[in-house]
Amino acid sequence: MKTKRTTKILSALIIAAFLAVMVFPFFWILITSFKPSNEIFGKDTAFNIIANNPTLTNYREVLDKGILNSVKNSFIVATITTLYVVSVATLSAYILARVRFKGKGLVLAIILSVSMFPQMVVVGPIFNMFYKLSILNSYFVTLAYSSITLPAAVWIMVAHFKRIPLSIEEAASIDGCSQWQTLWKVIFPIALPGVFTSAIMTFIAAWNEYLLTMTLNADKEFQTVPVAINALRTQFSILWGEITAATVLVVIPTLIIVLLFQKQIVSGMTSGAVKE
Amino acid sequence: MRKTITAKQAAFLLPLFLLLAVFALYPIISSAVYSLFDYRTNDQQAAGLYTSDNFNAPLFIEDCGYITWFLEDDITLVSQADQAELRAVMDRVNALATKYATAEGVIKIPSAEADKLFAAVSEIEADIQAVYERNGHVSFYNGWEKLNTILAEMHTCLINSNFTGLSAYAKLLHDTRFFRSLQSTVIFTVISVSLEIVFGMGLALIMNQAIKGIGGVRTTALIPWAIPTAVSALMWSYMYDGSSGIIAKIFTDIGLIASPERMLLSAGGAMSAAILADVWKTTPYMALLLLAGLQIIDKVLYESAKIDGAGPAKTFFRITLPLLKPSLLVALLFRTLDAFRVYDLIAVLTGGAQGTETLSIYAYKLMIAQNNYGYGAVVVLAMALCVGMIAFVFVKVLGAEIVRDD
Repeated sequence: MKTKRTTKILSALIIAAFLAVMVFPFFWILITSFKPSNEIFGKDTAFNIIANNPTLTNYREVLDKGILNSVKNSFIVATITTLYVVSVATLSAYILARVRFKGKGLVLAIILSVSMFPQMVVVGPIFNMFYKLSILNSYFVTLAYSSITLPAAVWIMVAHFKRIPLSIEEAASIDGCSQWQTLWKVIFPIALPGVFTSAIMTFIAAWNEYLLTMTLNADKEFQTVPVAINALRTQFSILWGEITAATVLVVIPTLIIVLLFQKQIVSGMTSGAVKE
Repeated sequence: MRKTITAKQAAFLLPLFLLLAVFALYPIISSAVYSLFDYRTNDQQAAGLYTSDNFNAPLFIEDCGYITWFLEDDITLVSQADQAELRAVMDRVNALATKYATAEGVIKIPSAEADKLFAAVSEIEADIQAVYERNGHVSFYNGWEKLNTILAEMHTCLINSNFTGLSAYAKLLHDTRFFRSLQSTVIFTVISVSLEIVFGMGLALIMNQAIKGIGGVRTTALIPWAIPTAVSALMWSYMYDGSSGIIAKIFTDIGLIASPERMLLSAGGAMSAAILADVWKTTPYMALLLLAGLQIIDKVLYESAKIDGAGPAKTFFRITLPLLKPSLLVALLFRTLDAFRVYDLIAVLTGGAQGTETLSIYAYKLMIAQNNYGYGAVVVLAMALCVGMIAFVFVKVLGAEIVRDD
């Protein structure tokens, strides 16, 4: 009995330590964002937990520099990506989960290899493509996101469709539903949690994307949050106060998404990796 | 299930195929093509994929015009014999100009023709130079200097084919910077993934025991995973900062590093910094994946193991690990590939300095910063080959099941 109690206490301690390590960076960023510059860089004040003279200047500065415009860009880009990627993934995953045809193994293998390929392979040619079509610095960047988000979305949807019993469709087809009607009116409502999961995962992936936006949208006007925040590090100075303030502002949407949709996120993370 | 696919069903797949074709397969094939050329967009002579020699006919004709025009001025100042010689040269120049008079813009010409053409230009050059040298004492209106400039420009009218075939791949084998970045990538991948597996497994085992309060732990664990890597890397680069970084200070105080500046500005420090930031961000992901795998193991098995008197270590190695193997392998495969392709984290944290230049960083510098698409593509494809080998080992040798088609 005594050993059981020790293990329990030990487990609790490890979990507490884990949580502390996970949370500490966010905590430190939050308190820094309220410090004035001279305290952040001051030798004696840099490691104070509470700022001597708390200030909102950092927030005001990043708002003046248009961080909200980047947040807006991120929302636009991530929303467009989510809408079209989930639509395309739903249509194709339905067929891939339900119809047996020659070459299906190859299709699945291609989807999987695209998700495994280094993203760096596509960046150069896509830059050239966008340059030739004169669509650099535009929201067209969302189309390029398909190379990173589509395979995962299809994968999650296939896993969900496979869980729906075949008999439901057979009943629908006996009742005279066409393939499109079966998908739209019968299967889609049942698969909605799966659709939602892949939507959340796609949204997060698009929200977090850095490499493609940095390369294709050099213009500040079209930069998304990850790129815009890094642009606050200039060649001559690193404005930690502004960077931490901006980080706090952009972590908030992520925090809300995680709090609201953690079930879907965990389901999305594990589908494909864990077999039921 | 049906064995064939109807046209209607195929139409459902069409958008997927279109997107993958344009934004995945076409770029991959393009990269393969780039790798066969010395393709550099910042060099006019190599800014395209030229399989044959290209000839700038309008510029060439213009230059021919200048040559005859300059010679026309100077010809009266030399002897009869030299005048006759220059006349002959001018005829030859005019003949060349007339030959391409109908050509519009830059045209493709066969190598043999290009060689012949520029051999003729070189002969003309030699002949003109000879005449001017013979008359070195004469003060000409234009003189050899001016003609030489025009003749030199004529040679740039020919853009040689920049098709290099597989020679760039041979260059890769002698590229020490490539092998150094491969080494950094492997070190980063092996250490960070090993740490993540160990920590992730420990956390998953604990979370699997204690169900109470797991929701809160899970939510907290998701946040580092969900925020953009570029942002988390920036957070860490602040905490690693030599003058105001808290982590750099703590590590100095406990004696891990000699001074705070060494965190990002020494070779070992920078790599450890990158690994630590990566482990922080992805251990929760690993823990949640393994936890999901643990939760599908039948509890009855643990009960019977207990009855049979198996200790915790034996239970772990005989029951948990074998049953967790499928989830573990898939999680390991995806994490290994992610770590191998790492870009955002390193780019923000160190930019590839202090021995942290990974393959992605090197390839990006070549392609986007130096506009060297040809060699950049070679590096990127070598990287893709490594990724393919990693996946092959996991799937074929270790037996990770990723494609299920039932």
